[in-house]
Amino acid sequence: MSTQIEPIKVADVGDIEDEEALVVDGAANGTGRDITVFFSDGQYYALDDTCTHEEASLADGWIEGEEVECPIHSARFSLCTGAALCLPASIPARTHKVELRGDEIWLHPGVPVEGAVTEVTA
Amino acid sequence: MSGTVAPGAGGNVVIVGGGLAGFTTAQDLRKHGFDGRVTIIDPEGIPYDRPPLSKEYLDGSLPAAKLSFVPDDWYRDNAVELITDRVVALNPDEGLLELGGGRTVSAATTVLALGGRPRTLPIPGGDLPGLLTLRTKDDADRLRDLLVPGLRLAIIGAGLIGAEVAATAVKDGATVTLIDPVPVPLVPLVGAELAVRLHAMHAAHGVDVRCAMTTGISLAGEEYTVTLNDGSSVAADAVLVAVGIVPETHLAEAAGLATDQGIIVDPTQRTTHPGVYAAGDVARIRLADGTLIRRHEHWESAMNAGRTVAAAIAGVPLPAHGASWMWSDRYGVHVESVGDLVNGTPIVRSVDGAPVAAFRMEADGRMIGAATIDGGTAVRAARRIIDRGLVIDPLKLADPSIELKKLAR
Repeated sequence: MSTQIEPIKVADVGDIEDEEALVVDGAANGTGRDITVFFSDGQYYALDDTCTHEEASLADGWIEGEEVECPIHSARFSLCTGAALCLPASIPARTHKVELRGDEIWLHPGVPVEGAVTEVTA
Repeated sequence: MSGTVAPGAGGNVVIVGGGLAGFTTAQDLRKHGFDGRVTIIDPEGIPYDRPPLSKEYLDGSLPAAKLSFVPDDWYRDNAVELITDRVVALNPDEGLLELGGGRTVSAATTVLALGGRPRTLPIPGGDLPGLLTLRTKDDADRLRDLLVPGLRLAIIGAGLIGAEVAATAVKDGATVTLIDPVPVPLVPLVGAELAVRLHAMHAAHGVDVRCAMTTGISLAGEEYTVTLNDGSSVAADAVLVAVGIVPETHLAEAAGLATDQGIIVDPTQRTTHPGVYAAGDVARIRLADGTLIRRHEHWESAMNAGRTVAAAIAGVPLPAHGASWMWSDRYGVHVESVGDLVNGTPIVRSVDGAPVAAFRMEADGRMIGAATIDGGTAVRAARRIIDRGLVIDPLKLADPSIELKKLAR
């Protein structure tokens, strides 16, 4: 894990529509890498924005249930754990903890969620 | 262990060919908890992905290490053995594979994922040794070494590989001539509307597009001359022949398996021998009623076939695949298509007079196919519309102000 980065408020509840996402710029989130906050089926999730396969933005992907599908080559990732669910990706996406404080959505950049997949699995 | 193995009964699996279908078979066997030995035999060694070979790898933006499907230690971690060799003979009754290096390997179940080899032109000079093809990483390396500004590159065949290489080569400063007898290639894949727009990009980027049959190739000194049936000819420093593939069926034929422009398999990807499966470009599905399906030589089809083989061997329910999908990249645009662009009634979505998406509809209002240029999630939406049998108002489909994903939900 990288050095501790302060949590940041990224939006208010309602700002991100269902099955949509919001990119938090790498410079703003302190990790140097863009992080996307996803909203799907009433849950918020955050992953590194760039697909681990090549260069696409997962924020532009197909968000459904607990998965996001890359908009270029259709690799799918678990929003819950970051696991790469199918080729062409095999490297998991980095997860980041998202917390609701009242009506505010707070992101903990660099803090993985519990149960995050961090290694390539079968 | 030899002989055939009942689904789920263990035994070892030997996969011949480490392309996408072969690799996926190994990966999914482990995902399903298959605990028998799994071996991949391929003369090229560590399995890698081919789509970048004509695009990001060819232009140097994707390093070789990123071609691999998985990090190298995955094979050890998942107990998947790699043998760098060629299989020269298969005895399916005995479950024995003879390797070029002299070794014999036994297999309870064999999976043939041999892919195809580039088709050659049956014309004078079609067998000249210096002609280029693009199928493997070595092929791409060879082409990449040649791609310097000013190279005169003749590409025979304006299908996916030819078009992608043309775009990459132009970017690298090559002078490209693209030759194809079809006035507008790829119509069956993306529909005429988008195919016309895509093909026009070649000329717009300075490619000399020739609509003609190639009748001969000759080499004098270091210069090739490609002769065309319109009476013209093309002088080139290098010639890429990109006219499709021939499925690699020799091993299967010699082993007595049924083949017909591909190794015949049933919908579970099993060949006519119960101990042998085939998957990917080499396999051709025959339905229960005897209908032979056209081989679908695209990336996802190969992955899906590998998934089916693994499920069949592991004895778990077979995956459902839905409408088939493909992508291509050229001149900075991303093309995708899903389903059937040959049949049905066309609906076109245009922006500023240029078609950006095309759909094919059945009379009952269901969508059967869709293709997009830089469509973002549109094809992903269309795929769900097709697979879920949704009926969408054609006027909305044609309206570029309506996001397709709103219509899919």
